[in-house]
Amino acid sequence: MAYSQPHPRLSVLSNSSQSSVDQFSPTSSSARYSLPSAPSIHTTIGSAKPTQGPRPNIYDRNLNKTRIAEVSASSFTFLFSEIVQYTHKRVSGINDLERRLNTLGYRIGTRVLELMVWRAESSSKAPKREIRLVPALMVIHTQVWKAVYGKPADAIEKSVENADEYMIIDNDPPIERNISVPRDLGGLSCSSFTAGIVEAVLDGFGFPARVTAHGTPTAQHPSRTTILIKLEKSVLEREELLKQ
Amino acid sequence: MSHHLFILSPSDTPIYSLTHYSTKPAAAVTSPLAANLPTWSTSAFAGTLTALSGASSATQHTTSGPVRMGGGQDRHVIQMIANASLDVIEDLVRKENAMYLRTVDKFNEWTVSAFVTPGNVKFVLLHEAKNDDGIRAFFMEVWELYVKAQLNPFHRAQGVIRSGVFDGRVRATAKKHL
Repeated sequence: MAYSQPHPRLSVLSNSSQSSVDQFSPTSSSARYSLPSAPSIHTTIGSAKPTQGPRPNIYDRNLNKTRIAEVSASSFTFLFSEIVQYTHKRVSGINDLERRLNTLGYRIGTRVLELMVWRAESSSKAPKREIRLVPALMVIHTQVWKAVYGKPADAIEKSVENADEYMIIDNDPPIERNISVPRDLGGLSCSSFTAGIVEAVLDGFGFPARVTAHGTPTAQHPSRTTILIKLEKSVLEREELLKQ
Repeated sequence: MSHHLFILSPSDTPIYSLTHYSTKPAAAVTSPLAANLPTWSTSAFAGTLTALSGASSATQHTTSGPVRMGGGQDRHVIQMIANASLDVIEDLVRKENAMYLRTVDKFNEWTVSAFVTPGNVKFVLLHEAKNDDGIRAFFMEVWELYVKAQLNPFHRAQGVIRSGVFDGRVRATAKKHL
């Protein structure tokens, strides 16, 4: 036999080399009614191209391969809409919904940070990290946004009233392009997902902060969103020390 | 000659550890502390440590010549040294913007080298001989493997890395560079 365990249903059509007796052998007929197990997925792929071995595992893949790959905006929108609906069904209020979206974004953010920096720094002899606050915020504004949304954010501002608050502004966040928030959900901003990403990146850099998203529409940009970063006290104290 | 690698999550939970025995010959290292202590104290230490580590041979303190202080090879001593170096790493992480922090600490015959990823995950390596370039190359490859492990959606940020392939890859890298 060419393969150790071809999928029985496919094998009849695709494996002409297989003898017809095999169909009635006890092993294949019993497998016919069993659920396809994980290895059968591999053999299904393999049956199209018999020379191909099992799927390469994640440690064999080149991390730069998907660097310039793009995801279809419509499929992403579909996925994100499912994420919001799924989350919405399982929460009791807007705050809870935003918090959960934030948590989901956080998981993305930790990975975005490592991967993004790896791609930028791994070839250099002495890879660098960001240890100052303002450059770190600029990295988020430009590089993180580029890595996630393919374009830098539109503005970054420092709050006038509170020294510990910074704002990153996106005039047209791609994840909200197809979202219209119903009236009964008032102040909901689905960019809480983005806020989660930002929070994870800041945590990674060592600047713990509470990050929230707020819709701040203008006449020109109806879906303009502000990502509000409220830094922890320790961060500001350390910045003061580093300044000297 | 042995190497000990620890990977620590941002909250300093160990998520992976590896002991690698290099085939390269060990350089004769005289541990200053052991040499300065009277023989009876080191042998007392060696006895205790041998007993604690569960080793069957009790010959360590009966051999003549310079006594190595318990060899410093016991698992709990290694962990203690690695833990102690975290304070130094914590300081350096705030001040230095390099990921590879070089030698951060020394204890008896052990030298501690460290590497910090952008996500604040620490790689701590205990080694005996100086091998700056090898260790840098080793850390870079472990970093790549770590990023790959982390990209797996089933991996939690603070979760222990149990992947056999990851383990195999790190071992192969260690064999190549250390």
